Amino acid sequence: MRVAEADRAFLHAQLAGPGLALDFGAARVRIRSDVPELPPMLRALYGGYAIEDPAGLCDVTVKLRRARGLRRWVRPQVELLIDGGIELEPFPRDTPLPLLEWGMNYALATRLCCYLLLHSGVVERHGRAVLLPAAPGSGKSTLTAALALRGFRLLSDEFAVVRFSDGQLQALLRPVALKNESIDVIARFAPGAVIGPRFPKTHKGTVAHLAPAAEHVAARHAPAAPALVVFPRFDPSVGLEIEPVPKARAFARLAVNSFNYEILSPDGFDALGRVVQASTCYQLRYSDLERAVDAIGALLDEAAPASARH
Amino acid sequence: MLLALSALPAHVRLLLQSLTEPQRCASLSEPAWDVLIRAARSARLLGVLAARVAAAVSFDALPEVAGRHLVAGQIEARFRRQKTLFLLETVAPQLGSPETPRVLLKGAAYIVQGLSMAEGRLPADVDLMMPRVALDGIERALLDAGWQFEKTDPYDQHYYRAWSHELPPMRCAGQALELDLHHTILPPLGRLKPDTDGLFAAAVPIVGTSFSALCPGDQVLHAAAHLLQDSDCTGRLRDLVDIDSLVRTHATANPSFWPALLERAHLHHLGRPLWYALALTRAWLATPMPEEVAARIAGFSPPWPARATLCALVTRTLPPVNPDGEPGLWDRLASRLLEARAVWLRLPPWLLAWHAANKAWRAWRPGGAS
Repeated sequence: MRVAEADRAFLHAQLAGPGLALDFGAARVRIRSDVPELPPMLRALYGGYAIEDPAGLCDVTVKLRRARGLRRWVRPQVELLIDGGIELEPFPRDTPLPLLEWGMNYALATRLCCYLLLHSGVVERHGRAVLLPAAPGSGKSTLTAALALRGFRLLSDEFAVVRFSDGQLQALLRPVALKNESIDVIARFAPGAVIGPRFPKTHKGTVAHLAPAAEHVAARHAPAAPALVVFPRFDPSVGLEIEPVPKARAFARLAVNSFNYEILSPDGFDALGRVVQASTCYQLRYSDLERAVDAIGALLDEAAPASARH
Repeated sequence: MLLALSALPAHVRLLLQSLTEPQRCASLSEPAWDVLIRAARSARLLGVLAARVAAAVSFDALPEVAGRHLVAGQIEARFRRQKTLFLLETVAPQLGSPETPRVLLKGAAYIVQGLSMAEGRLPADVDLMMPRVALDGIERALLDAGWQFEKTDPYDQHYYRAWSHELPPMRCAGQALELDLHHTILPPLGRLKPDTDGLFAAAVPIVGTSFSALCPGDQVLHAAAHLLQDSDCTGRLRDLVDIDSLVRTHATANPSFWPALLERAHLHHLGRPLWYALALTRAWLATPMPEEVAARIAGFSPPWPARATLCALVTRTLPPVNPDGEPGLWDRLASRLLEARAVWLRLPPWLLAWHAANKAWRAWRPGGAS
């Protein structure tokens, strides 16, 4: 059964009991919660996911709950427990989903040291992946969302998950977190896009989430080969500017933007080397989303592997 | 039996059993793995578990998710081992004359000594013990080399220097681990008074390095003394695993280990912490011990009310929290009581009163909380 087909009472019972187990591709997460607002939010954003057996082995277990004691009643809060302990600051009671999403990001980033995790959006076309690494606020999520709404398959807006064995990218597919102006930009860009509730006044401003398309959810176990790395920067003063980035520089920028490159030591070096070797790398300054999406499509086509070139 | 394994929660028994009999992990169910991985991670024992399972079974025979988290544990342990060695190599020139003893404590010692028990450990800091008279010069050299104190508050600095067995922890850009410079192993004004000169005199040079390690008996006693007297005494199962591993390592390598351990326990007046530590490791980790040694260690036994109370408390506080639950009221109460006991052992009453008053004043004064 998929999350969208489950009724509210069933979701509530799963969340309050054994947990709602979801498979994001590279990792499975078990979510528990006593927050009554959560089931409809999950149904809106995770509707396309099958409900897995909660007794099966999961990579991460999180529990979102209403705070105890004073914070239950006065300026109430929600807390997130990871494996029975609180590792993050609580959030205000009316922002359960942002805390859940942020907490899952944190848990996955700190626990999945069996992969190289780059801080990057990832989309794919014809099995060839585009990495969109960038610091927060540079428009990475907006651009990733736009590509996913224009024929690219979404793998993740947050993590490029690189396998050590072959340097292939695995999906860690979750809703795309859109912030502030980006929410309306994406809503106008693709009027059919499913965007969840807006949460004003989080520490990152207003946040809303774009639900991944059902066909992307269905394909989340298919890996993709790295082919193109684009460092995006939203810049209202330019139309569109594309500049090649030397591979050594791209390697360094990807490494410092990684969640676990240093911990992985030689495995991280080798895996990142494979990604950069297989990719052409560019810096992209853009102000118009449509033009940026077209440009990235063209760069991906140009970046065909040497063997396929004439 | 005060410390029966059967009295422990299921997740703790599973973790202990997997550490002592890793070959049995080959037949664990998926739900059991789910609990085991999380319990091991929260006890900071995932790397040790991975090392022991790897020696007993192939990860390929395990469920995929379990295998990848064990790999993650091995990777983190490898990183921390590398960072420990890097730190020691970097600070060596700042440590003054090589004639001044440089005694590595705990994890850094196990790594540099090449003990197999170091495999999978996840050290968060490097503990180095040097004579108190040498510390001023070394501190200056380290500060010149870019090391900085984490705690810059004058009272904290004073507290460490006047009453602690170590300088405040130091950090340096480019170093992943903290450096703790000790001049002895326990707070000098506390109730337990090990023989510091004896620690240095018996330290064993580590061949091929400028460092030495405590002698085997002192290594065990150091770990035992900290097991139940550190202020954060919850979730310290890994310290117990260290004690078990140390005893197994040294007893196998050295036939005079047991008599020497008893002699060192008398010398340092650490018989009672040793009794508690070995009672726990024997009950939970089946640490082997000759009968005649057990009989002599029984002489260190505390009176039964103290014994019964402490055993009841540590059964609640030492194991990691249930990954599917959270500490109950009794667990939290047990932690508070053990913390109070730890403070009582570490500080004389006048210092405790002075310290508490200072803390309260600093928390209360306008803008003063740090």
